[in-house]
Amino acid sequence: MIIATINGIPVHVAEGTTILEAARQVQVKIPTLCHHPDLPPTAACGICIVKVQGSNKMLRACCTPIEEGMNILTHDPEIVEVRRTVLELILSNHPNDCLKCGRNQSCELQNLAAAFGIREELFPKFISGIPKDDSTNAFVIDPDKCIHCGRCIEICQELQQVWALSFLGRGFSSRFAPAAGMRLVESPCVECGQCSSHCPTGAIFELDETVKVWQKLQDPDNYCVVQIAPSVRVAIGEAFGMPPGTNMTGKLYTVLRRLGFKAVFDTSFAADVTVME
Amino acid sequence: MITKTVLIKDTTPGSTSGTKEFFDVFTAALRESKLADEIRLVRAADIGVYNHGIVLKILPDNITYANVQHHDIKRIIGVTLKHGNPIKDLLYQPRAYQLRLVLKNCGRIDPESIDDYIAHDGYRALSAALQAGPDTVIREITASGLRGRGGGGFPTGLKWSMTRSTPGNEKYMICNADEGDPGAYMDRSVLEGDPHAVIEGMLIAGFAIGASQGYFYIRAEYPLAIERVQKAIDQAHAYGLVGERIFGSDFSMDLEIRLGAGAFVCGEETALIASIEGKRGTPSPRPPYPSVKGLWGKPTCINNVETLANVPSIIRNGSAWFSRIGTENSKGTKVFAVTGKVRNSGLIEVPMGTTLRDIVFEIGGGTASGKRFKAVQTGGPSGGVIPEHLLDTPVDYDNLQKLGSIMGSGGMIVMDEDDCMVDIAKFYLKFCVDESCGKCAPCRIGGYQMLNLLENISRGNATLEDLERLRLIAKAMQKASLCGLGQTAANPVLSTLRYFEDEYREHILNRRCPSKKCTALLQFIIDRSRCKKCGLCARSCPEKAITGDKEHGYTIDTARCINCGMCFETCKFGAVERN
Amino acid sequence: MAALTADDLAAIASRIHDQNASWIRVGMSTCGIAAGAERVYAALEDELQRQGAGVQLKKCGCLGMCAAEPLVEVNIAGMPRVIYCRVDEACARDIVRGHVCGGKLLQDYIIDMQSEDAS
Ligand SMILES: Cc1cc2nc3c(=O)[nH]c(=O)nc-3n(C[C@H](O)[C@H](O)[C@H](O)COP(=O)(O)O)c2cc1C
Repeated sequence: MIIATINGIPVHVAEGTTILEAARQVQVKIPTLCHHPDLPPTAACGICIVKVQGSNKMLRACCTPIEEGMNILTHDPEIVEVRRTVLELILSNHPNDCLKCGRNQSCELQNLAAAFGIREELFPKFISGIPKDDSTNAFVIDPDKCIHCGRCIEICQELQQVWALSFLGRGFSSRFAPAAGMRLVESPCVECGQCSSHCPTGAIFELDETVKVWQKLQDPDNYCVVQIAPSVRVAIGEAFGMPPGTNMTGKLYTVLRRLGFKAVFDTSFAADVTVME
Repeated sequence: MITKTVLIKDTTPGSTSGTKEFFDVFTAALRESKLADEIRLVRAADIGVYNHGIVLKILPDNITYANVQHHDIKRIIGVTLKHGNPIKDLLYQPRAYQLRLVLKNCGRIDPESIDDYIAHDGYRALSAALQAGPDTVIREITASGLRGRGGGGFPTGLKWSMTRSTPGNEKYMICNADEGDPGAYMDRSVLEGDPHAVIEGMLIAGFAIGASQGYFYIRAEYPLAIERVQKAIDQAHAYGLVGERIFGSDFSMDLEIRLGAGAFVCGEETALIASIEGKRGTPSPRPPYPSVKGLWGKPTCINNVETLANVPSIIRNGSAWFSRIGTENSKGTKVFAVTGKVRNSGLIEVPMGTTLRDIVFEIGGGTASGKRFKAVQTGGPSGGVIPEHLLDTPVDYDNLQKLGSIMGSGGMIVMDEDDCMVDIAKFYLKFCVDESCGKCAPCRIGGYQMLNLLENISRGNATLEDLERLRLIAKAMQKASLCGLGQTAANPVLSTLRYFEDEYREHILNRRCPSKKCTALLQFIIDRSRCKKCGLCARSCPEKAITGDKEHGYTIDTARCINCGMCFETCKFGAVERN
Repeated sequence: MAALTADDLAAIASRIHDQNASWIRVGMSTCGIAAGAERVYAALEDELQRQGAGVQLKKCGCLGMCAAEPLVEVNIAGMPRVIYCRVDEACARDIVRGHVCGGKLLQDYIIDMQSEDAS
């Protein structure tokens, strides 16, 4: 057990606990950006810095194990100013097209900017203008929106062991991309989707065909049918604010018919058949 | 029969014929005293003393006289040459000496001969260390006060004992020879001139921490160093000094070379480890420190070339011998690569605590051009500039840090009044921006934004608020960057701002570069009174902005001029003016 | 070859140590080579052979005065030990003929530095 204080509040935590985790235990919120609870810290963004009494350095809360007797300060004018400057720097390298972005309202960078009350731009914008990669039927990669958190690469290489994504180049012109700069469709990508579900911004986003579907449904010459995967009946509930795990099968069928699909097929029928065999 | 030799050199700045003149007078005087056959007079190219008029060095007595006048010749002949007695009032007392500990063999021994190294006390320290045991070795190194020469100045003994005390039966020793600072080549010189000393240091370190494998991480741009280190390892192997059961003891250690592929950041220890492991060379957060979890996850000790080169002589001569040299908290000597606008560019080694003034003026000989000294830059891209009024600072880790610079690995660049501080800041920052790995946001974007601000300043497109922006970003980079590269990249900007803010303001407010370096702020015009109408400038102009003919003379069309400065360089008559 | 023992070190040292011998050292680190030390070395080697001078010629590292390379240090019995700077091929031959064989120091090439060397 380690005893330390955070903003004067005593904490008792197991050895190896990071400052970030310890702070959560005593309801102190340290802002983060690159950190993701599923993944080891990449320590890339520099937003979660805190002060430790007796040192004039600032340490990253996400990856620094708390030590016995540490007195940690998470907020003071200097820390907040540094965090804010880092955030402004990141924003200076990020397009302002939130309204058109697939991640609008579910973007971690957007949330952080809102939390810091960013209202104007302190630094000129520098966007590399690297073209999007929409070579697969699954995702669109938009390198300009990448904040270099490294989550997708960590997931792709270490968790999934696919090694389709990596960082290329260095410095300001470094970017995440399919290895060796190929298009995603030519890369070893298996379209597992882990990268896009961990991306904090709109840099990796599922290919969106909603508009095409609406067009087909409204075309009287088309006979539209739909088939749903087993997981959707539960996942959709969460999107509508139901408690996790709520089964929405009936509602889902109804909605799909009301949207204009002439027939609704369910993959789980075939799944059940498979199980019975 | 010749008994004495007199070296002569006129060290008066700008003097070209003084040496010859004095030589002739002296020759005549010798002939008069009938000593022409006994005394050998030689005009020296450089006598190691500067700005002290005529300087004589008398051998073999090793007496140096400075500011010698023609009327002193008689006395010198009578007192010194005839009777071997020194003349007090002429004696030259150097204010600063070089002290070559690390470089003691460089230029003396054949780096490709292990026997030559052994003949110069080589591998005795290793043999002594093996007998004394690891604890004694660490105690000696700790007591010596040796601190890391790679830039950080971390106490070497402490680093060794931390690595030793981490449990684990597999440990690694790494020699950091990635030396990437612009203007620095101390480590290259040591590896090329005395590779066995570094190998011996590695073996002693490996023995102390309990490693059985060591790696030299040498940048690929150093082919000769790589070749000589490899040869040295092979020779040591053949003698049983590397490999199994060294000196017949239980200690075994192998050494291998790994090449760095030219990324400055790979000199940072965690990035270096990633690079050896075959990964992308980017830093990772510390802790865990390499001493706990380093190469392949094992306890690892990383030391700089010069640090390791100090080790054998400390073990041989004892910690007390070493700790007598230097200052309170910085022991021993430091090798500097003195370059830039200095007369004697090259490598020097001085005791810690030598003042910057002595380094630049006594040893370096002052500015090469004779122009006014402006500042000296230490610590490379992580360091800062130190202006004239602080030159009397004794060099050590703590003093330099107080002045906003750092010791760094030992690059020292001398600047004179032609150097623009905005331009210098831009140069160093550009280096760090190019070398940033791009992993962390403060360094990747902060550096780029700062460079953009500096470029605007040097083009006269900035406001005073931009200075505040520079300071704001600098602070964020210092505090929030992941590794030393980003944390220190702003130092050159901050230190030039600290000591030369006037120059920045001059660029911003008056759109003027006082050193006439920032070409965008210059205007080129032809002074008709000096123009010889030769037309060379017009031919050299890449934009055809100079019009006229040999009859009427030439003028520069400022609208078309791109301020490249070609005409200014080309004109032999100084008729092109730069304002 | 069998592993060396501590005593072997002393044996090797005494075999190599011959302080009084005459020798010439050429700075052959990157700085020296870039300034032309290889050609100087070849010229010295050739001229020593022509003159039949029994002087040991050695390739060494950098003495530090990189701006003044190529550096050639000469130690001939009975003469002061000196370092010549900015040596070219012609000068190298002069060193052998003048200094090594003729007992004369070359004018305008000697460089000296103020240093204390460690043992
Ligand atoms: C960006 C960066 C570059 C570095 N480059 C070098 C280098 O080229 N050589 C070196 O010895 N140390 C370099 N260091 C310092 C090393 O990280 C490390 O502190 C050093 O090798 C430790 O050895 P020492 O204790 O003997 O100094 C660098 C550090 C940083 C942050």
